[in-house]
Amino acid sequence: MQITFDQVSHIYGKGTPFERVALHDISFTIPSGSFVGIIGQTGSGKSTLIQHLNGLLLPSAGTITLGDTVITSKQRLPHEQRRNIGLVFQYPEHQLFEETVAKDVAFGPSNFDLPEAMVEARVKEALEIVGLDYEKVKDRSPFHLSGGQMRRVALAGVLAMQPKVLVLDEPTAGLDPMGRQSILEAIYRIHQEQKLTTLLVTHSMEEAARYADYMLVLAQGTIALQGKPDEIFMQAERLRELALDVPETVAFVSRLNQLLPDKESLPNSVYREEELIAHLLERLSVPKEG
Amino acid sequence: MLQNIAIGQYVPGHSFLHRADPRSKLLFIILFATLVFLANNTVTYAVLVAFTLYAGLLSRLSLGYILKSLKPVWILIVFTIILHIFLTKGGAVYFQWGWFTVEERGIQQAIFISLRLGLLVVISSLLTLTTSPIDLTEGLERLLGPFGRIGVPVHEIALMMSIAIRFIPTLMEETDKIIKAQTARGANFTSGSLVKRAQSLIPIAIPLFVSAFRRAEDLALAMEARGYRGGVGRTRLHKLAFSWRDAGIAAAGVLLAITIGWWRA
Repeated sequence: MQITFDQVSHIYGKGTPFERVALHDISFTIPSGSFVGIIGQTGSGKSTLIQHLNGLLLPSAGTITLGDTVITSKQRLPHEQRRNIGLVFQYPEHQLFEETVAKDVAFGPSNFDLPEAMVEARVKEALEIVGLDYEKVKDRSPFHLSGGQMRRVALAGVLAMQPKVLVLDEPTAGLDPMGRQSILEAIYRIHQEQKLTTLLVTHSMEEAARYADYMLVLAQGTIALQGKPDEIFMQAERLRELALDVPETVAFVSRLNQLLPDKESLPNSVYREEELIAHLLERLSVPKEG
Repeated sequence: MLQNIAIGQYVPGHSFLHRADPRSKLLFIILFATLVFLANNTVTYAVLVAFTLYAGLLSRLSLGYILKSLKPVWILIVFTIILHIFLTKGGAVYFQWGWFTVEERGIQQAIFISLRLGLLVVISSLLTLTTSPIDLTEGLERLLGPFGRIGVPVHEIALMMSIAIRFIPTLMEETDKIIKAQTARGANFTSGSLVKRAQSLIPIAIPLFVSAFRRAEDLALAMEARGYRGGVGRTRLHKLAFSWRDAGIAAAGVLLAITIGWWRA
């Protein structure tokens, strides 16, 4: 589903002493099927931005187009459209409430009047996608799971609606490195298998570099930079001004390039860890053969 | 969504009212409330209204924002007006239709009693708009201090109050977040039968309780870890101190009391 923001602004608490402009004149287009990394400091407007995607917040000005649906300050998103956009909030495990895991995951799909058998099939599928054993967890209380498992259940709760767009607000916050990696891998797998359009809000340049094919860098409610990751990472100076860092792979490549003669320097497009390792191994193995 | 509630919402500032001692503000409000009930004619009500408007100016908040505090009670005020117009009899008859009359006293009482309600709400909102909850409970704790000697757990009550007040915005934010998260999962809180709508509150209430208990536990742990063990022997970082502003408030109180006492019928 293609997503377009056209000069979108959002103002909180209009007409009170607490009035605050959270988004100002945001414009971008995300083609269907992209994996978009949204990066920015705390308070840069990331969370406000993503809440516009399924109509939880309406823009104060401007137009948002989701596929064929248009949202403006006066035009809400129809209820049945909501399930197309799966929004996973920060700490989504805080929204769990049912007696059993299966019931909780079923909450989303049942809200859209699907037949029971279909709901059950979806619950099972969603739990397997996030790497939980349906038979083992379905009758357990979600409150007796570990933090990482709770997060998976909450993620499954959104996936069970089978959205076309998946929006995740820092899905790895507060998890250990292992948990981070496996939850992100699961998300990336679904993204590819189901051809979703995915928006990942993150603090970590590493996470963005690893998965995103397009990036939005937010600062003070405006888009400071947008483009393909390698284009963004080339502007290391600008990123530093925004108190952000390039991923370590990019920093490594640029330091390596300083040492190498110009014609042997590594291309900027190599910034994913595996690609970089593969690239370097290939380089290093050539002289041996020759 | 839940940000439109003005009553009890502190707006930071540096006005005369912001910087006055919470104790003098609290005492003044008690006096003012008494005076509002003593007022019984046009002159005394006019004095009180003028004074309240002046106090509003002193807070340097916009008048519209202060008057917003009347929002939760306007139904009560309208109801009072209607009751008095219809039921209070006496004086000239302005309107008659069968047994039903609107009389002079009725109109007068309708105006006075609704003013009375309005003034009380506005002046107490001025207190909460210009006093941070921490200052407010500290002021209360000090004012109630003497009752500690007869076994009233003043410090604990004040602490409970400040924690409760401190957590109102947090829990509201939390509620807002949970409502959004469940809405994103397709929950619908506004349509369906009454039973269905009541049921739809479960997905909000349970996560909210869970998080409130988690917060309470965290807070208790954090307080104990920093050596909190009740009010005994506790010193304060910010000591309350009276200043010329409080002398001003006291003078205003005395002046107001004399004026009302003199002019009331």
